[in-house]
Amino acid sequence: MSQILGLAVLFLLLNLVAGLWRVARGPTAADRMLAALLFGSTTVAVLLIMAEWMAMPALRSVALLFVMLAGIVTIAFFGLPADEDER
Amino acid sequence: MSVDLLIDGLLGLGMIVLALQVVSERTVLRSIILFVVFGLVMALAWTRLQAPDLALAEAAIGAGVTGALMMMAWRRLLIINPEHSADTPRGRSAVAIPVALLSTALVATIGLSALNIEPHIDTAGRVALDEMTDTGLGNPVTGVLLLFRNLDTLLEMAVLLIALLGARAISAPARPEEAAVVETTTPLVGALLATLVPLSILIATHLLLAGTNEPGGAFQAGAVLAAGGVALVLTARLQPAKRPGLATQLAVTAGLLAFVGIGVGIMAFGETLLALPGTWAVYLIETAMMVSIGLTLALLFAGAPALVGRRA
Repeated sequence: MSQILGLAVLFLLLNLVAGLWRVARGPTAADRMLAALLFGSTTVAVLLIMAEWMAMPALRSVALLFVMLAGIVTIAFFGLPADEDER
Repeated sequence: MSVDLLIDGLLGLGMIVLALQVVSERTVLRSIILFVVFGLVMALAWTRLQAPDLALAEAAIGAGVTGALMMMAWRRLLIINPEHSADTPRGRSAVAIPVALLSTALVATIGLSALNIEPHIDTAGRVALDEMTDTGLGNPVTGVLLLFRNLDTLLEMAVLLIALLGARAISAPARPEEAAVVETTTPLVGALLATLVPLSILIATHLLLAGTNEPGGAFQAGAVLAAGGVALVLTARLQPAKRPGLATQLAVTAGLLAFVGIGVGIMAFGETLLALPGTWAVYLIETAMMVSIGLTLALLFAGAPALVGRRA
């Protein structure tokens, strides 16, 4: 069981690497931000599995925090002027 | 065990790649987004190092509040100097490479000398862990912060207050239209805030109460509270005010007042300075600290001496 959880974490991390490609490539700032938020969601999944796998229930608090902060960062991003590549 | 190694390797490599990208991106906005992502990966790395307290702090302050703060700062810079956006992609500074080489040498020296250090058995951490059972606290980090090294924590609170006073002294209060980024009439904002703000209060309270027995505590709880306040500032539900009222002044200094009050007051009963009398004192001080930290961070974010509710 523990092996399966470890592999699940690894699989999700590989997903993050794929998401990183989108963050780096863009092309618009909104694309990058959405990819960063996807990063956040996947990180929540990683943390929830790690809470079981590493037997650290406190990681669920960290996951909860990530969910909330994604909302704050989105509001802060909203209304920022566009990246110059988009003009 | 190879799965562990792969995960840790991926995280370590990811952090290095992200860090390089953060400093080498062509535009400020991209660097900020990458910095937020870096904070997420950093928090994951702390959890792998069995340090959930640090993961909480990194998530709340590193990724969340700092990310929002930098987006906000960049926005305000563009308001002050609209032409700035055109020359945002800057060339590399001449001192960049020497500084990078020097820091590498410093880190390498510290790392290499750390390899040769004999592991000590009787470290301060070991002594603190042994003493934990007498304190009635379950979380060693809270024990160290509030019982064993509480002078440091007290001074940290003082530093936070001084930072706020310093920021107030050098910067003119932001105008309300500079602080808010979202049109207050946007329909989804109300719905988002109705979820986000109660959630921040709930999580902050949970972290504060959990802090005595499991990871959490006043600093993380205060940062979460500040995040809720930041959301209200960004959407103009809270607006900068010129003059702090009595409530603001009390809330900003509450942590320091409670800490000094109990720490010095205990001397009247023949105890030593800052020898906290029990778990109730820890709870009381942590609650006051959470309020102070939350409000101070929110005020620093808004760049204002005080915040008032929006006038209809």
